[in-house]
Parts: sequence; C-alpha cells; structure tokens
Amino acid sequence: MADIVLNVEVRENIGTGGARAVRRAGRVPGVLYGGTRGPVPLSVDANAFRKALFTGGLLGHRVTLQYGSETQTVIAKDIQFHPVNDQPVHFDLYRVEEGQLIRIAVPVRFDNPEDAPGLKRGGTLNVVRHEVELWAPAESIPEVLVADLTGLDIGEQVRMSSITLPQGVQPTITDRDFVIATVASSSAMVSSEADAAGETAEG
Amino acid sequence: MLSPKKTKYRKAFKGRIKGETKGGASLNFGSYGLKAQEPERVTARQIEACRRAITRQMKRQGRVWIRIFPDLPVTDKPAEVRMGKGKGAVDYWAARVAPGRIMFEIDGVPDDVAREALRLGAAKLPIRVKVVTRADHGGAMATEAA
Repeated sequence: MADIVLNVEVRENIGTGGARAVRRAGRVPGVLYGGTRGPVPLSVDANAFRKALFTGGLLGHRVTLQYGSETQTVIAKDIQFHPVNDQPVHFDLYRVEEGQLIRIAVPVRFDNPEDAPGLKRGGTLNVVRHEVELWAPAESIPEVLVADLTGLDIGEQVRMSSITLPQGVQPTITDRDFVIATVASSSAMVSSEADAAGETAEG
Repeated sequence: MLSPKKTKYRKAFKGRIKGETKGGASLNFGSYGLKAQEPERVTARQIEACRRAITRQMKRQGRVWIRIFPDLPVTDKPAEVRMGKGKGAVDYWAARVAPGRIMFEIDGVPDDVAREALRLGAAKLPIRVKVVTRADHGGAMATEAA
C-alpha cells in the first residue's frame, strides 16, 4: 500500500477550547508524541484525515507527517470518534524510528469460509478476537492477519499458531496458543438436527 | 422479555436522558450494530421485537448481542382512578438509551443479510438508528462483503 502522507499544522491553542476552534475551522486536532522529543499539538485537514482513515488504512500503517520541509515517520496510536456521528474528533500519533518494535493491534480477516465444512453444514463462525495485539518492527507492520478457514468443522478452532506472521513479528501473548475464532453450531442447525432425529424415531 | 431478577427499589423516578452516551458507543462483539441517534426509553417489548426480527431475518444463523438492558421500572395508574393515593403499579420495564449507544450487535452472516436484518429490527424501535460496521472506525471487516 502507498505510504500515507499527512500535511499537518502545529496548533497554538491547546485544551478543549483550542481543539474546538480547530474543529470549527474544518480540521481535526491531534497530538504527536513518543521518542526523545516532547509532545506537539497538531491539526490535519478533516477531509484529508477522513480519506486517509477510510481509504488509506491509517490505522496500523506508517504515516509520514509533513510540516513545511520537515518530515517525521509516525503511526496512528489512537483515534477518538464522536459517539453519535462517528466522525474522527481527535488523533494520537506516535513517533517511530526504523526497526523500532511497536505494540499494535492488527485486525484478523477470515478467508475461504466456503471451504469450511462446518460453515457449509450451518455452523456459525464465532470470532473471539477481531484484532490481535502484536509486537512488530515499524517497517513491517502487517496490514491484516489472514486466517484460513479451509477444512474447519463444527467445534474446531482457529488458533494463533495457524496464522503465518511476517519475519520479526510476534504476538504479545506468548504463554499460550490462544483462540482467534471457533466454528459453533447455530440454533437453526440444532433444531433441524432435532427435527431429523424426531422423524427417524417416529419412522 | 428482559427484566431484572431482583431490584433494590420497586419503583423509580422518571428521570431524564441528557447528552450523549457515556460508553457503549463502539462495536465490542460483532461486526455490525445498531446505533441510537436520539434519546428515548426503549421498552422490554420493543427490545424483544427487535431481537426476533433480527434473528428471523438471519434464519437463526450467526449471533446477536443485546447491549441494552431494561432496568427502569415504569409505573402506571389504572384507568378512571383519581389522582393521589400513591404511585401506580409497575407496568413495564424500559432501558434509557442515549444517542450514540450501540443497542444490538450481530456477526456471522453475510453483509447483505446483516444490513437487512438490522433494517427490519430498526423498524421495531421507537427511535432513529443507524447501522454501523467495524469499517466505520477505519478497521477491517472479518470477512469480505458479499
């Protein structure tokens, strides 16, 4: 994926009032921190920020901040959303260096559900973890973890060990092989099996 | 229908629903949800009707989570009774829902089924709601949209 570049401005007024003034001007307030330097209050054009978030995959990617001629590599550590309209209201950016290990939550995608006999028989994919927290080098943060559902029957599980991770990436939980998802029987399937058993008993 | 197993007090004040929700504004369990857009009491009957509409459309596949609970006893006086003589009897249970609250979450069904189920469920509720997904917060969906 192409590198995301955000043109930022340094905010002069901090706090609630300053942040609200920035929002009124059509920008999203945020803060940059991490590394050896201190925190810097920033703002980004709201349209550019939304575009980066919804089409560029801002979360879980390295982002290049541009301020005049200065550039800084960061990752989006947190984004706050308005509770009702779900528009971004604030962001936290974290300075990263080349090769630095970062703790980051990466979403899980489940591929080949049509090849899972359990799902074909009417079972349900019960996702235990939509995201997995990983330690990853800043330059190789996986965009998504892919779990293959091929051959999965009812009662079987997708565990962390079945997911292939890039070089240098490891989960933050290392003491156990935790469950990502299970294939459970659905209520529709249980009742249809009960009906079938009843018909057999009557016959 | 949902109702508390036991309560500290039998009857409650009317109360007001002020401002936006303080929590429960993002998806926790499923990939799709119904988010309240205005403040209102939602009764246990409405919650149950919504749940049934959703599960029926999902053909009892997938999973449904209810993120609100009717813990507010609403009282009413019988018909043709003069005012006074104390507060009426508990009539039904309701949940106070503030704007932004995720009321229902679902998972384990294709995108089109999930959206249609939530649309039908929304018709059973007394408020405007919107369908939200994990992609609305810049996240990835667990399965590809059909």
